[in-house]
Amino acid sequence: MNTQKMRGAISQNAIYIVLVVLLIAITAYDPSFFAVSTLRDILIQSATRVIIALGVAFILITGGTDLSAGRMVGLTAVISASMLQVSDYGRRFFPDLPQLWVGIPIIIALIAGLLFGLLNGFIVSKFKVPPFIATLGTMVAIYGVNSLYFDTKPNQSQPIGGLRQDFTDIGSGSIGSGDYSIPYIVLIAIFVAFIVWVVFNKTKLGKNMYAIGGNEQAARVSGINVAKNLLWIYGIAGALYGLAGVLEAARTGGATNNYGNMYELDAIAACVVGGVSTTGGIGTVPGVVTGVLIFTVINYGLTFIGVSPYWQLIIKGLIIVAAVAFDMRKYASKK
Amino acid sequence: MKKMVTVVAAATLLGGALAGCGNSSNSGSSSEPKVGVAIYKFDDTFMTGVRNAIEDSAKGIAKVDIVDSQNSQATQNDKVDQFLTKKDKALIINPVDRTAAGVIIDKAKAKEVPVVFLNREPMPEDMKKWDKVYYVGAKAEESGTLSGQIVADYWKAHPEADKNGDGVLQYVMLKGEPGHQDAELRTTYSIQALEDAGIKVEKLAEDTAMWDRVKGQDKMAAFLGSNGDKIEAVFANNDDMALGAIEALKAAGYFKDGKYMPVVGVDATAPAVQALQDGTLLGTVLNDAKNQGKAAVTVASLLAQGKEITKDSVGFDVTDNQYIWIPYKKITKDNIDDAK
Repeated sequence: MNTQKMRGAISQNAIYIVLVVLLIAITAYDPSFFAVSTLRDILIQSATRVIIALGVAFILITGGTDLSAGRMVGLTAVISASMLQVSDYGRRFFPDLPQLWVGIPIIIALIAGLLFGLLNGFIVSKFKVPPFIATLGTMVAIYGVNSLYFDTKPNQSQPIGGLRQDFTDIGSGSIGSGDYSIPYIVLIAIFVAFIVWVVFNKTKLGKNMYAIGGNEQAARVSGINVAKNLLWIYGIAGALYGLAGVLEAARTGGATNNYGNMYELDAIAACVVGGVSTTGGIGTVPGVVTGVLIFTVINYGLTFIGVSPYWQLIIKGLIIVAAVAFDMRKYASKK
Repeated sequence: MKKMVTVVAAATLLGGALAGCGNSSNSGSSSEPKVGVAIYKFDDTFMTGVRNAIEDSAKGIAKVDIVDSQNSQATQNDKVDQFLTKKDKALIINPVDRTAAGVIIDKAKAKEVPVVFLNREPMPEDMKKWDKVYYVGAKAEESGTLSGQIVADYWKAHPEADKNGDGVLQYVMLKGEPGHQDAELRTTYSIQALEDAGIKVEKLAEDTAMWDRVKGQDKMAAFLGSNGDKIEAVFANNDDMALGAIEALKAAGYFKDGKYMPVVGVDATAPAVQALQDGTLLGTVLNDAKNQGKAAVTVASLLAQGKEITKDSVGFDVTDNQYIWIPYKKITKDNIDDAK
């Protein structure tokens, strides 16, 4: 193998190499990190983040961005939690609500996510508001909506707790038991990743998404209904945030209006590190998943070995900048 | 034309939204003194409790006008000017930035309007500027001390809590936002309380979870991954993080089949009280929102009427003529009703 090819292989697989190097470095520092239980924790903590990052990836690939993702996670976490409290809880959000089938509040939350996603898509495609500004606006407004809902009597901005077991089981239950069990939440994330992979690679919507991100003008000229496609893409992303919000409430057994705060930045960072281009047109599902895993390994692993939280922030920042710098070089060399 | 329609539609929507937002809670007869209240931020859980208490306790003694400073000291100063222009008789200020109290005192003193500061203590030199300035709040370090005492009591009553039998309490700490006064004081004083009780302690891990339940859960999972059964107690600077830690502990098999871990938080939120009842949370500390609100509005009403501030007139102890300290309360399964 000559150096040219070697360099090409490294640059194509850089993020996977980064992930492996991180794992080896942490394990070298503390060998007890190398365990099935660790892997399990990392997968559980990555599950909701993968779903959010995949939603954001849809939009980044079209050349847009979505700042409202985190607040949508918070809104849907609060919506689902508010309707799924045990009947004898001291401070129920809806004191007289009967025991609904667990699916109903989940569906309501998903629809809320979908609607706000469609709203984003509508503002972007119809009013031609740049996505950064459009979603900045909805980010602020959605938090307002959530806080209003959260502050209604009798809840009055108290954290929502006392969630039903059939709901929290979705977030914390698993097939089998012990270290080798498979958590439902991880299965859900894998399933979502698979569906998104199919959409990206096997559907017309996926092809259009890459085309719009690559060159919107060219896409329009070649007969793609850009507005309609964008509407659906933002809508799907919103529904994914909705799912993530529901799972976040189920996993933690509670919700407040501050849930999801800044998740959009984590998701965008994970996408970028995973090779999604900030200028649109490029990005893969395995890349995004790896990007999320890298950040979870940093979060979990550095806490595991007791690195100061300040250093964790510095390391995260460096990785984000390095990844994009690397990404830019890749394109520069193509041109 | 099409543009027109859009503009009209947008304007209508906005107008409707604004109309829906207005709410006036002013009531009562005109003989009650008008009191302007500025809260640092409306969406803070604890201050919402205080705000509700102010409204409830004001009935019959003051006409309160409560405004949101939106976590900005500049906004708060504007609101103070507005109160003074409207000739309010007294102010209750929950500062955004405690060092900014001096400016507010100067403004109020110029118009002879007494001020009650709430929950965030001004600098002592600012308090000395005028004798019509009062402070109502809790001593932040007390919340740490009390949560430490809860664990100390448990440790002494349960010899089996020393899992490895070495006579030393191994603990992990989930901190709030780094540099936040409450986070630092609670962290220091909770451990101080253990040492004062004669217990040897060893810190296994400490990390910030930013007051956040999700982060509390994720950090605790990592602590359990690296320390496993070595952990003998979990301290959290607030209940949200404590409840997150409990979820992580549950996932690791705690709180069933006789496997237990003492976890303490601070705030006594509704979900925390539920966790006390379930036996997962060992204890929490109540920052008494009701009495803080009540004391603040009572003092403001008395000052507005030019009456004297004494223990008898206020109903709370007055320290150094200017301070009303509302004590924190330890909440465990035994006195759970105090937190409801």
